[in-house]
Amino acid sequence: MTSDDPRDLEAELIALGDSLDAPDPAGVAAAVRARLERPEPERRRAPRRIRRWQLVAAIVLAVTAATAATPQGRAAVVQILRYAGIELRVGDPAPAPGERQPIPGERVVTLDEARRAAKFPIKLPAELGDPERVTVGDGGRVVSLTWPGGVRLDQYDGRLELVFRKDLGPPWPEETRVGATQGWWISTHHTLTYLPGGGGTPVPLRLAGPTLAWQDGGQGLRLEGVASLTRAVRIARSVR
Amino acid sequence: MDDDEAITRSLAGDLAAYEALVARYSTLAHRTAAMLGAGDEAEDVVQEAFVKAFRHLSTFRRDAPFKPWLLRIVANETHNLTRGRGRRTDLTARLGATAEQAAPDDPEGTAIATDRRTRLLAAVRLLPDREREAVVCRYFLQLSEAETAHVLGWKVGTVKSRTHRGLARLREEVGRDLG
Repeated sequence: MTSDDPRDLEAELIALGDSLDAPDPAGVAAAVRARLERPEPERRRAPRRIRRWQLVAAIVLAVTAATAATPQGRAAVVQILRYAGIELRVGDPAPAPGERQPIPGERVVTLDEARRAAKFPIKLPAELGDPERVTVGDGGRVVSLTWPGGVRLDQYDGRLELVFRKDLGPPWPEETRVGATQGWWISTHHTLTYLPGGGGTPVPLRLAGPTLAWQDGGQGLRLEGVASLTRAVRIARSVR
Repeated sequence: MDDDEAITRSLAGDLAAYEALVARYSTLAHRTAAMLGAGDEAEDVVQEAFVKAFRHLSTFRRDAPFKPWLLRIVANETHNLTRGRGRRTDLTARLGATAEQAAPDDPEGTAIATDRRTRLLAAVRLLPDREREAVVCRYFLQLSEAETAHVLGWKVGTVKSRTHRGLARLREEVGRDLG
């Protein structure tokens, strides 16, 4: 950089750029294709996709359309997706609950107490460190960990029963991957309702923030309050 | 199969054609994400960007080039990420082995050249965000002014002025360092 000729600096910057290591993109094309090949709710009109979708439904989830979807009537159509103990209803969003309600029987406990009370092994996201608060609700059916800034991880047995319902407007939640499992990303605020075990009366909880829902073994997990999908997936992947 | 044909086939649902398109642009997309601040999440950002690009392919104007359209999605995803983290965007890139190979039979000269590049890279890192983005797009990614404008969502005049300011700042920094 001994000359004042502006072209020298520009040429040097180009050479510098060429000498910089970029991350290795190995496998991106295949990973993208794998994601696009998985069935997506909006695309389920194609017969082949419906069959594959129903195969998955036999294990963990079911999709139904409440009424026939027509291009004009789409917005009014309530579509339901059940996955990992969560029922997602996409359509005209339900009115938000007036005040925040806790999960029935919710109490603050230590992590050890939660481990004894919970009906499943409690998992922790290494990415977030120790939670600020741990609660157990509904006799150990749900364990919630919270961190400063409104970040919350709910864990529950997602195998047999629905535990939460989410009512939201379009668009459809976005399908994503959490490690080897499927996840759903809900980027918008939505009404969260708790569905007590044994078919008790649903309890409207609150207006929930962006949420990533996924399943780990038989356990359902929902991470709320992380604004970016990439960051949410990163946290979800660190759960052990 | 050129871009246009790959896009036509992708629009018809041919995922093999789209996979080929992704393979063609994945290195550039990674460089773009990493250099605009995605850090070690560049791979996630790029995957997300390609999935979004496929889903929005019908909005792509067929008479326009594909590269800036795609890189704009990559830049937006990167910005979403850095905004979400609430931290300053940073240029994450390391000087590669190629810098060492500049003059294999002249180790001293090579060391000086490498040192200069290291300092220049440090100076680029310290530029204000907007100026750094302009410099990264124009020189590291070797995009034209028009392409840079499209990718960053700026006017061409803004690209010119921010690049100019960035270069002036770099010249001052490294000039003082090395003079």
